[in-house]
Amino acid sequence: MTQQAMTTSAGGLTNYDQGFLLGLYERMVLIRSFEERIKFLFLEGTMPGTIHQCQGQEATAVGVCAALKSNDYITSTFRGHGHALAKGLTVQELLDELFGAVTGCCKGKGGSMHVGNMHKGMVPGIAIVAGGIPLAAGMAQAFTMQKSGQVVACFFGDGAVAEGAFHEGVNMAAIWNLPVILVCENNLYGASTRVDKVMRNPKISDRAAAYGFRGETVDGNDVIAVHEAAKRAVTECRAGKGPVLLELLTYRRTGHSRRDPCHYQPKDEREAWFARDPIERFAQRLLARGGITPADLDAIKARVDQEIETAVEKAKLAPQPTVADVETDVLA
Amino acid sequence: MEIEFKMPDLATTDSAIKVIRWLVEVGQPVKRGQPLLEVETDKAAMEVESIATGKLSAVHVQPGGAVAVGQTIAIIATEGGTAVSPPVSVPTPPVPAAAPAASPSAPPKKAGGMFAKNRAATQKSATEEQKQSIALSPAQRTVARRMQESKQTIPHFYLQTSLNAERILARRTAAASQKIAWDAFFVYAVGRALKKFDRMGLRFETDHLVPSGTDAVGVAVDHAGELYVISIGDPAAKTPEQISGEIRALVEKLRSGDPEAKRLRPANITITNLGGANVETFTAIVNPPESAILAIGKVAPAAVVQEGEIVPQHRVSITLSVDHRVVNGKYAADFLGAIVQELESL
Repeated sequence: MTQQAMTTSAGGLTNYDQGFLLGLYERMVLIRSFEERIKFLFLEGTMPGTIHQCQGQEATAVGVCAALKSNDYITSTFRGHGHALAKGLTVQELLDELFGAVTGCCKGKGGSMHVGNMHKGMVPGIAIVAGGIPLAAGMAQAFTMQKSGQVVACFFGDGAVAEGAFHEGVNMAAIWNLPVILVCENNLYGASTRVDKVMRNPKISDRAAAYGFRGETVDGNDVIAVHEAAKRAVTECRAGKGPVLLELLTYRRTGHSRRDPCHYQPKDEREAWFARDPIERFAQRLLARGGITPADLDAIKARVDQEIETAVEKAKLAPQPTVADVETDVLA
Repeated sequence: MEIEFKMPDLATTDSAIKVIRWLVEVGQPVKRGQPLLEVETDKAAMEVESIATGKLSAVHVQPGGAVAVGQTIAIIATEGGTAVSPPVSVPTPPVPAAAPAASPSAPPKKAGGMFAKNRAATQKSATEEQKQSIALSPAQRTVARRMQESKQTIPHFYLQTSLNAERILARRTAAASQKIAWDAFFVYAVGRALKKFDRMGLRFETDHLVPSGTDAVGVAVDHAGELYVISIGDPAAKTPEQISGEIRALVEKLRSGDPEAKRLRPANITITNLGGANVETFTAIVNPPESAILAIGKVAPAAVVQEGEIVPQHRVSITLSVDHRVVNGKYAADFLGAIVQELESL
C-alpha cells in the first residue's frame, strides 16, 4: 500500500460534535453517490462529454473544506466534482453544468472539467495540470495585500508536482509567506503513471523543506486526520506563517477518466486500498463512538440518493444555451 | 420495459468501438453496474457496465463488430421500475410524468438540444462512412504511408526518353522454352547501369548520402489489386533469362499467398511497368528509401527516321523519377543513357 509514515487520527471522536461528524459523513456519501449516479448518466449517453471521477478520494475534499470558511477559496483541476460539493456548491448547479445547461454553475460553458462558483469560494476547475498553483499564490497575495484574512486551499494531484508551474507557484508562495494550503492529493497515479516511476523521492511533503516551509504527509482516507491537518495549516496561514504543503495519501477507485479502464492498478493494491475506503472506515468509527446508529447512516444515504435523483430529473430538462449565448461570459 | 443500451462515448476520437465479447449471455439476468461486454477503443480494451437491472434480451452487435458511439448495442428488459432511473434517450426524451416544472423564466427545452443535434449528425456520418469505407490491409497501409511520405518529402524530377526495343524483341523471340518477362530486361539494364553510376545506389539521410546497402533492383507487382515490390539481388551478374526465371518464381510465390513473399525487401531502384495495360508513358513515385524509380510504357511499332529514311521500329518509352537530393539532372540523364545503351545492345 504505502511505506510512508503519515499522520492518522486516533481516539473515539468523543471531543467532536455529533452534528459536525454526521455532516462530514453526509458530504462524503453525497460525493460518492453523485459520482456513481453520473457514471450511469455517462454510460446511458444521457450526459455529454467525458468525466473525471473521484470515488475513493472523498475524505480529502471534505476534510480540507470543512476547515475553511465560506469566504475562503479553493482551486481545483479537472477531477473537481468532490471539491465542488465539499465547498458547498449544490448538486443541482453541478448536474446542470454537466448537462451543459444555462442553469449550471458556469452557465453550461464549463462542463465537468471546469466546475466552480466564485460566489461560493471555488475557482472554476483549471484543466491544466498544476495550473491552479500559481493562480492560488496570486489570490493569496491579494488576500495578504487586502489584509482580508482569507486563505486559499489549492488542490492538485501527484502528477502536478513535476510541472514547472508547481515550482513557480510554490516558490512565490514561500518567499512571501502567502496563506496557501497546498493540498496534494497523492493517489499514486498521474493518469496511468505510478508516482515511483517519475519521482526518486516519492514523499511529496518532503518538497516543502526545499522551499523553507512545513510539509506533512497525512492519511488521505481518514477524514478526521485530513481535517485536523487542514485546521493546523489554516491556522498557520491566517497567522502569516504560510504556506503549508499537505500530502494526502489516497486512492482513485476508477480510471483517470471514464475512457480509462484502469488496468495499470495492480489487483492486490486495489484490494488493499478498497479495504481502507474512507466512507466505510469513517462509518465504523462513527458507530463505535456511540450515539449514532446504522439507521442514522442509512437515512443519510437515502436522503442523499433522493436529492440526487430529483436533481437528475431536473437537469435533464434544464434549458440549454442558445446561439445568442455563444459570446457572453467568454474572454479571448 | 425494454431499455436500449447504446454504446457509451468511450473512444478518445471519433473512431468506431469494437466489441470484443459479451460477458452476459442473451436471456441471462444482468445487474446495473455489472460488466456486460468488453470493447476495444482507439486507446484501450475495457469492460462496459450495464446501465440497468433486468434480463439481457438481445444483442445487436456480434463479437468483432464495430459500432459508432450512440448506436444501440443491446436491449435490456426490466421489470417495471427496476432501474434506479430509466435512461432518457437524448434526441427525443419522454418527459417523466412527475418531472418538476422548470422555472418560468427558463422555459423547458428538449434535453440535449445543441449536443443532441451535433451528436446525431456525427453518428449518422460515422455509420454511413463505416458502410462505404474499405479497410486497407497492413501491407497496403504501408504502401499508402510510403507513397505519401515520398510525395511530400522527396523532391522528384523526371527524365523521359524512348529507346529502340528491337533487340529486346529479338532476345525474347530467341528464348527457347519460355518467353522472357519484359521486366527482366529492364532489371538487367538498370543493374548494369548502376555498376557505372554508383551514386544512384545511395540514399538521402539528413544531409548525408549513405549507401543503400543492397545491390537489388525491385519490380512492382500487382496482386489482387494490391501493390507489392519483389526484389532481384545483384542483377548485373545475371542474364535476362535468369532474372526472368526469378521474377516468375517470386510472382508465383506471391500469388500462392506465401506471406514471406509479401514482405518488403530493400532495393536501389524499382521498375514499374504498365505497358501490358497499354499505357504509353507515365511517371512514377519514388519508393522510399530508394533514389529513383523507372516507369516502363508499352512496346509498340513506330515510324522512325533513320539516315533520311522512314523505317518501322518497335520502341518503348521509359521515364526515370529521381530524388534530387541524391543526384542532379546531368548525372541522372547519363544514368538513363546507360540504361538505354544496355537495352539497345543486348
